[in-house]
Amino acid sequence: MAALRRRVLEVLPDLDPAQVTDGSSLKELGANSVDRADVVTMTMDDLGISVPVREFHDVRDIGSLARLLRGHLG
Amino acid sequence: MTTRSGVAPDGVVVTGLGVVCPTGADVDGFAAALRAGVSGIGLRPATVDGEAPGMRPRLVADLRGFDLPGRLAGLPQLPETTRRAAARVAGRSPLAIQAGVAAAVESWLAAGLHRAELPGERVGIVVAGHNLTGALAERARAGYQASPAHLPGRFALWYLDTDHVGSISQILGITGEGYTVGGASASGNVAIINAARLVAGGELDACLVVGALTALSAMEAQAFHNLGAMAGAAGADGPQQRCRPFDTRREGFVPGEAAGCLVLESAGSAARRGAEPLARVAGYAARLAGTSLPEPDLRGEVGVMTEALRRAELIPAEVDYVNAHGTGSPLGDDVEAAALRAVFGPDRPGPWINSTKALIGHCLCAAGVVEAIAAVVQMRGGFVHANPNLDESIAPDLRLVGRRAEPAEVRVAVSNGFGFGGFNTSVVLTSTTGRGRPSAARR
Repeated sequence: MAALRRRVLEVLPDLDPAQVTDGSSLKELGANSVDRADVVTMTMDDLGISVPVREFHDVRDIGSLARLLRGHLG
Repeated sequence: MTTRSGVAPDGVVVTGLGVVCPTGADVDGFAAALRAGVSGIGLRPATVDGEAPGMRPRLVADLRGFDLPGRLAGLPQLPETTRRAAARVAGRSPLAIQAGVAAAVESWLAAGLHRAELPGERVGIVVAGHNLTGALAERARAGYQASPAHLPGRFALWYLDTDHVGSISQILGITGEGYTVGGASASGNVAIINAARLVAGGELDACLVVGALTALSAMEAQAFHNLGAMAGAAGADGPQQRCRPFDTRREGFVPGEAAGCLVLESAGSAARRGAEPLARVAGYAARLAGTSLPEPDLRGEVGVMTEALRRAELIPAEVDYVNAHGTGSPLGDDVEAAALRAVFGPDRPGPWINSTKALIGHCLCAAGVVEAIAAVVQMRGGFVHANPNLDESIAPDLRLVGRRAEPAEVRVAVSNGFGFGGFNTSVVLTSTTGRGRPSAARR
């Protein structure tokens, strides 16, 4: 979650860090489709993991995204 | 009123300038550096990869220290919404995009367009440049090869030259016509010509002409070097003495990194907005040599200068100043000198001639835009900048500026741009102040 939060704030520099919560969605925070793809690839790169694109279809909010990424960690 | 269409018979004027270049972070800085003859050329660190370090291109005029947020923070008149849009859209963009944004924003403010006097659909953008992302691709490749799955999807946007158009139009709310144009080293003039036509034809009231920073990849630079087009770093001279347009000891060009932006506007629109015209785009011409090769084309060079002056209703004797293409290439400078001799004839003293490339290198796709800015700056500043490395001229009969700037009244300026693959272009800019349009033009 810390890695994810750091990349969210890098892609959306105007965001108040307090808004980045488990229940918030990237789209609601103002991330467009390219921003969302960037957050995911940058975070995967940081964590040294690769997650197939189709697995993101069920992601609803930042919390579920973090859980999905965590599930792929060694 | 603001949505009118139709031609602009009263002409096309320049109402804003913006630049980011090796010797100046903005137009005022560039103007002071031109007047002082400051060179932005230096040496890249010696490469350790590969073989034959002595055969590698190391001379460059680069944009050291450029910082987009810092640059925008220093513009108190910039609306906060525009500053935030720039940070959001281009905050992580490649250097070339960030430099283009900085130049565009400066020209936008200078033209007063931040006061929302023109609807977005009456403003357009023409970006000068192509093959702009080689250095970006070279940097991204290592990561891609290590792990294709981690290549940022945004690269699909960043690798497009048109990212300049998209980014700048989003930040400034430009919704008229827009595109990139290419003409190798003549791209800048090709863009000026296209934008002038859009404005003169009534498609737009104003058009930004962005000279895109061309950051060569190491491989592209090596190809120019191996072709023999680029000056080498060896020799007794320092790096700042290696770019020597029109000097007998010239060896080739030195690449420069700069972005520039001109706001072209119909004279009528500028008058309605109360925007001060900085210069007039009085004439232009473009001709191909009909070749795929890098060789210069005497007939084409003479042709475009002659035709641009004819369209401006000026005669060669009325030209005060020529911003030469003058890359420092052995053959290119010889041919341009011959072309200048053919156009301006034996009457002396003839126009002042200099090459801005001696100071900031050859800015490639941006060169024509940056050099048009240099011409306007000199016109308004009453000087012509030095050719700092002109020790022994290849053309003593031409009035090349020496190693110091000279005071000069420039009312008519010609700016040349020639490119590999037969691109010949020439643009005529005239003064809007002082004695105004030369009287002889009325014939």
